Amino acid sequence: MTTTAPLGTEEQTGPPAAPADGRRTALSRVRTGNGLVFVLPFLLVFGLFMVWPIVQGLWMSFTDSSLALRDTTFVGFDNYTEAFGDADVWSSLGNTVFFTAVSSVPLVLIALAMALLVHSGLAGQWAWRLSFFAPYLLPVTVVTMIWTWLYQPELGMANQLLDALGMEPVGWLSDESVAMWSVAALTVWWTVGFNFLLYLAALQSLPTTFDEAAALDGAGAWRRLWSITLPQLRRTTGLVAMLQVLASLKVFDQIYILTKGGPNGSTRPVLEYVYDVGFTGYRLGYASAVSYLFFALIVVVSLVQLRLFRRED
Amino acid sequence: MSATATTLRTRRRPPREAAGSPLLLGHGRLPRALAGTALVVLAVLWLLPFVWAVITSVQSEEDINTTGLSPFKGAFTLDAYQQILERGNVTVWAFNSFLISALVTLITVAVSTLAAYGFSRGTFRGRRALLGVTVAAIMVPPQLLVVPLFDQMTLFNMVDTYAAVILPQVVAPMMVFILKRFFDGIPKELEEAARIDGASEFRVFRSVVLPLSRPIVAAVAIFVFIGAWNNFMWPFIVTNDPDLMTLPVGLATVKDAYGIQYAQSMASALLAALPLIVVFLLFQRRIVNSVATTGLGGS
Amino acid sequence: MSSRLPAQGVPAVSDPVRRPSRRRLLRHAMAGAGALIAAGPLSGCASPASASGASALSVWDLFQGGDGMLMDDMIEAVSKGAGGAEGFEVDRTILDWGPSYYTKLAMSAAGGRASDVAAMHLSRLAGYAPGGLVDAFDLDLLAEYGVTEKDFTPAVWSRTRHEGTVYAIPLDVHPFIVFYDKKAAEKAGLLDTSGELAPMGSPEALLDAGRALAEATGEAGILFGHVTDTAQNWRLFAGLYAQTGAEFDLPDGGPPKIDVDAAVRAVTLMTRLFDGKTNPNNLDYNGALAAFSSGRGGMAMLGEWELPTLKKSGMELGAAPFPQVFEKPAVYTDSHSFVLPHQNSPDPARRREAHRYVAQILKQSLTWASAGHIPAYQPVLAEPEYAALDPQSSYADAAKVAVLDPPNWFAGAGSNFQNRMCQPLQSALLGNTTPEKAVRQMVREADTLLRQPNPVA
Repeated sequence: MTTTAPLGTEEQTGPPAAPADGRRTALSRVRTGNGLVFVLPFLLVFGLFMVWPIVQGLWMSFTDSSLALRDTTFVGFDNYTEAFGDADVWSSLGNTVFFTAVSSVPLVLIALAMALLVHSGLAGQWAWRLSFFAPYLLPVTVVTMIWTWLYQPELGMANQLLDALGMEPVGWLSDESVAMWSVAALTVWWTVGFNFLLYLAALQSLPTTFDEAAALDGAGAWRRLWSITLPQLRRTTGLVAMLQVLASLKVFDQIYILTKGGPNGSTRPVLEYVYDVGFTGYRLGYASAVSYLFFALIVVVSLVQLRLFRRED
Repeated sequence: MSATATTLRTRRRPPREAAGSPLLLGHGRLPRALAGTALVVLAVLWLLPFVWAVITSVQSEEDINTTGLSPFKGAFTLDAYQQILERGNVTVWAFNSFLISALVTLITVAVSTLAAYGFSRGTFRGRRALLGVTVAAIMVPPQLLVVPLFDQMTLFNMVDTYAAVILPQVVAPMMVFILKRFFDGIPKELEEAARIDGASEFRVFRSVVLPLSRPIVAAVAIFVFIGAWNNFMWPFIVTNDPDLMTLPVGLATVKDAYGIQYAQSMASALLAALPLIVVFLLFQRRIVNSVATTGLGGS
Repeated sequence: MSSRLPAQGVPAVSDPVRRPSRRRLLRHAMAGAGALIAAGPLSGCASPASASGASALSVWDLFQGGDGMLMDDMIEAVSKGAGGAEGFEVDRTILDWGPSYYTKLAMSAAGGRASDVAAMHLSRLAGYAPGGLVDAFDLDLLAEYGVTEKDFTPAVWSRTRHEGTVYAIPLDVHPFIVFYDKKAAEKAGLLDTSGELAPMGSPEALLDAGRALAEATGEAGILFGHVTDTAQNWRLFAGLYAQTGAEFDLPDGGPPKIDVDAAVRAVTLMTRLFDGKTNPNNLDYNGALAAFSSGRGGMAMLGEWELPTLKKSGMELGAAPFPQVFEKPAVYTDSHSFVLPHQNSPDPARRREAHRYVAQILKQSLTWASAGHIPAYQPVLAEPEYAALDPQSSYADAAKVAVLDPPNWFAGAGSNFQNRMCQPLQSALLGNTTPEKAVRQMVREADTLLRQPNPVA
């Protein structure tokens, strides 16, 4: 709570009993000066809990730092060499990229469709908004608990529906070729509401003049959607897609709880591999190296996206 | 935060927001019917998991395991809810979630607002460099820092404390950036007037800038609260003591002697879902605005 | 706490296994918030746990289902003061079996605020004792409460130590055994005069037994579930391999000391036994369990912990140590034991209570035995009540020829090592690879793991 201290100080010194004007301005200049004081609390937590771990993590990636209580030694680039030759690093990176691909596309498109439909002016706005956005408010464990039950092999809703349609049951979480798709479906259900709201807000702030003019010219709804509304949303789509890709790359929570990365590692994302080697396998140093390799990937993706985005503008 | 001011501000927005644009569909019957059908199908798909969970939660474990689940076969019972509440775990975790999310929100908003104002109005040396570092830090996903952060927490002897859960979460460069952009847009003349009256910088900030910024600060607060409420990875890593766990962590980690029981599992999931859903129903518009204003980085 | 909870209105004393109460919740909240607000972030280390010296003894375990409920019973018994001893206030936490449990256990120990007592598979000790993640037991203190070294078999006791110091106290020995349908086995002529499974002595005898059982049931002979399982294949292999008398040693830095010929013998027997005709080769764990329970096979190779489930099936159930088919008697086992997770500043009084608690729980081993486990605490085995337990007493001898995982930081129950050993074995059983290739891959996998720097040494 060091951070609220400045506010507290002000509370005591601020109000009535005002001294003469001149003195007060001088005092205030002494107290607040050039504005650095305002930034200090942030700099403190930023330094402690962002800069420190970034630097510390980089250092650890060059050591054999362990969860067990023993001394740490410097190992140079050993961890990085090991990581480049570690098949599990590559497969988990592959899983992460695959998840990002199969989750981001529907997360953007379905969100857009939802927003367009809701924006079209049908009655019951709040009800639609609630149905689509409510899952986003659920803690991840609640989502996985519900979906574990939906995917349950014998009694779950998914297989019961298939059964009712006369189809064979599917091993939603036990079949290596299906599991990641099941995770993606859960993720779309859970988080699409966020993108949906972003689109909805964008739609609501679009100028309607073009649309009105085109309508007067006799352009149909479909035509106007494609040649006016969607082009107007291009910037938003770029932003939503960019945020979505970055969010999907960071997947861990739902996969860890739902499948622990199984079956046979087929859903294990790279962040879970970091957890597995770092905490389950004690090798904090090696886990840091893998984190940094992944960080490099994220930086590259962000820069590429930024560039694409700038060009579009 | 004063609720009335924000409400007033929201009301001033054009009413079009809630109504949507009828233009998009024109007045043809067919498009309207198609759109309506698509919406209903999507909404049903999105609500179905909830419905399935609710049905499961009000049946007995025996009925679920013997007859297979059907809403019409099993007898209605609230046993699962009663057992969950008696055990008390969910209540403890809900309390922890509230305490932790509230403190994270409070500290983040205080720290970020002050910093944003300092960055916006400050003249100190290194301001641009520090701002640049802050903006660059937006790119660093906190998930990548869990290993060194855990190491740091063992060093500080803070593993399994509330402080360890809360403090790393209060660093929010994105929020600083959003607030700074907002402050940049406030005309300086307003503050000059107060300064001429002899107000200190803190007083200017508190009585001139903050009141003008209520909507954005509320938006940031809501956004941070939802994020902290649903945060999983860090609290999961830094708490081992079940009495310190948040809802998502406790539910995912601590098991029951009896093994998996679906009715109880769904009952606790729904109980854990309830708080934010209720909050959403009460403050729907403000939460929607918050996501819209902060979600894309304030654009 | 559902079915066996006393009716409502019974005073709270009847539930000594404490769940977090509202009072405690508030205390933690105060301690946490107080630490944050009053003293600033760094002194947040005045932990809620240590702030409350006289609070309940916190114990961690990974027992769910049948084992979980029996552990509840045992904790309840010692809490009430079994045998006239003073009672305990116990706060029990159950985590998911396997890697999740062992990860949290290590992290809590590294954090310095771990529980007072925790359960651990003895096969995992090599990953905890050398790295200082568990604290040593005080044998004098244990002796005070009536538990000494001679209460355990040497095969098990030898695994409780690291560099001469004792870090674990075993609760049970739980071997990988065979369950059989007594009627089918009798029809197949596999029983001796006392109605127990007769010794086999050779691989051919085991294969013959499978055929005879298949004939007797009209369906499968011997059932074994292994598909996508992360331990079963290893349990079966490790037991058979040990029977050849060869050593399986995992020295840091590699290469692993594995007798390839012996390993190929063991895997070849596995593939001949589970050929997909006489005995199915494509069952998963639950599939095999269900098939055996419903009489679709005469024998099943399983851990003894499935006893409570199988007893419910209503068949005339027999059990025996895994039959000796190679040169040397050996049964793959593990052992649930108790450890003292590392604490940065342990309170001596609490530590004393932890010792007393472990001693008291051991004396409840008879309850634990009803789940099928062989009590490690020998005085219980000598009691007539144990001899009366059927079929538990038929396989109690397995403890004497117990073979555990090779001691290495990455091996043991629920470990990545077992998982990686299982993959090639599964391929061999499914016919996707030859025993020779499977063994070569096992050696490679073990070598890869051994080449990793040892993080606990």
